Amino acid sequence: MKAVLNKRPFDAGHAAYVTLNGLLLVFLLAPIAIVLVFALNPMPYISFPPVGVSLRWFEKFFASAEFMNALWLSLWIAGCVLVLSILIGGGCALALARGSLPGRPFLTAFFMSPLMLPAILTGLALFQAYLLAGIGRPVWGLILAHTLVAVPYVIRTTLAVLHNFDRRIEEAAAVLGASPVRVFFEVTLPLIRPGVFAGGVFAFIVSFDQFPVSLFLVVPKGETLPVVLFNYMKFDLDGAIAAASMVSILLALSVVLVLERLIGLKAYVKL
Amino acid sequence: MTSAAIRLEQVTKTFDGRVVAVDAITLDIAAGEFFSLLGPSGCGKTTSLRMIAGFEHPDSGRVYVGGRDITDVPVHRRDMGMVFQSYALFPHRTVVENVAFGLRMREVPRADIERRVAAALAQVALTGLEDRKPSQLSGGQQQRVALARALVVEPPVLLCDEPLGALDRKLRQQMQFELKELQKRLGVTLVFVTHDQEEALAMSDRIAVMNKGRVEQVGSPAEIYEQPRTRFVADFIGEINILDEAGTARALRPEKIRLVTPDGARVAGRVETANYLGGSTLLRVRASDGSSMLVRETHAGERASRTPGDLVGLTWSDQDTVALEG
Repeated sequence: MKAVLNKRPFDAGHAAYVTLNGLLLVFLLAPIAIVLVFALNPMPYISFPPVGVSLRWFEKFFASAEFMNALWLSLWIAGCVLVLSILIGGGCALALARGSLPGRPFLTAFFMSPLMLPAILTGLALFQAYLLAGIGRPVWGLILAHTLVAVPYVIRTTLAVLHNFDRRIEEAAAVLGASPVRVFFEVTLPLIRPGVFAGGVFAFIVSFDQFPVSLFLVVPKGETLPVVLFNYMKFDLDGAIAAASMVSILLALSVVLVLERLIGLKAYVKL
Repeated sequence: MTSAAIRLEQVTKTFDGRVVAVDAITLDIAAGEFFSLLGPSGCGKTTSLRMIAGFEHPDSGRVYVGGRDITDVPVHRRDMGMVFQSYALFPHRTVVENVAFGLRMREVPRADIERRVAAALAQVALTGLEDRKPSQLSGGQQQRVALARALVVEPPVLLCDEPLGALDRKLRQQMQFELKELQKRLGVTLVFVTHDQEEALAMSDRIAVMNKGRVEQVGSPAEIYEQPRTRFVADFIGEINILDEAGTARALRPEKIRLVTPDGARVAGRVETANYLGGSTLLRVRASDGSSMLVRETHAGERASRTPGDLVGLTWSDQDTVALEG
């Protein structure tokens, strides 16, 4: 007997789908590839095509006290913002989803509003507010400013998890003898944690490459990495910028990977 | 295992100040009884169960378990077991951790927890799956974990909210047998919420049929089926013919009707549709006056089934009809 082979008909829709996705990927990844090429190109100015491979710009970046101070400051601030926005955003989301607050839609919109406001306005407004309040421009002021912009990301991801939360699971725990506090720590918290941390990753990244808000609130010698890079670019446009960008990208990527390993973000949250 | 009687006394629950979910119902459930709350969705059966569990607080009326007024006792101090339709297993915990949860909350010593969890898992035939997560289990297995988790704390009362609703038919029937056997063996008082009348008839010692927040009738499965008190009960449970005799409605089950020759029969008509059901065939007979009746023809005899278009006569004895209220 001869087996009948069904030839698969050409599927134009599928082909278009694959092509579109491919183009999007190229569009997203091409800038990173270009930055990498420039970071490794030993020419003293940004040029194409590259003439060789060298790590001189990375050496320059890591040898510069100015860059290193800015990098550590940025990491420190982003770490603080991560913790603060998880606590504040997680709490807000729980209150919005669970508390029977009056005017919930309004409150939600209010907490999300930093997302809709151009960050440059937030920066300017905070600058003026700090000035009027006589606070000056301390590091904690910068941390709070970043947190303000980052909190909506945590609220959003946490609300998404809470929205799909089967409350019967909490009820089951209660029937089994868990007091409301124990239900929270034994069931609610472990189940929303991936959503909260996914938001925390966004918060970290938002803070780490925050430019417009920082621009108004940093003091000389206390500038974050994006601000230092911007200032540097005004006078020099060499591969150190590209090397710094590569380091930033890798740092951000490793934060995402570490959190994914530790809590398995993708199991719960569609990023 | 100890079991406890449950009493709902004039219990009312309103939602949003308008929708009356449960309307002044009084129910007495005996210790060790398999008691079903049966009705269509929105009849108040789940709300009643949730008031026994303590998830809802009645607007008025009291709830007693084992003679003790527990109306104001919070959920976690009621010492009950509950099985949910969605199982509500803890997805982040293994089978063992799920089952151990209630014991851990009761601060049972670790060695006892291990022993009792193992026994509970053996009881529902889940030995060997201890370290799986709920997502790695089939629906039936999840159901068993939920059951073991509820029973391991030896609650005097087990509440079940459509626990078999998510299972396919075959598995569902098997679980019906298992649950009933388990309940009899343990002697636990079991309150079972379902909208499936067959399930309620098959499993219960007694059934409360609910409609629009009220209890229409309480009785054994046979009483509910054979002596429905109201038109709603008659209609909700199985197939029914409602006859109008001198202004009073009387219920007549399709299997109580005999097929005879048309002349001299109480009703003569033509078979309109014949639904073959395996063990029997359900016929819809259109009478000459335009009304239609359901007749169940069992396949015990040798004669061939009626087919649509056949002219038939129907007869029954008056003692097989039941007068209905309302």
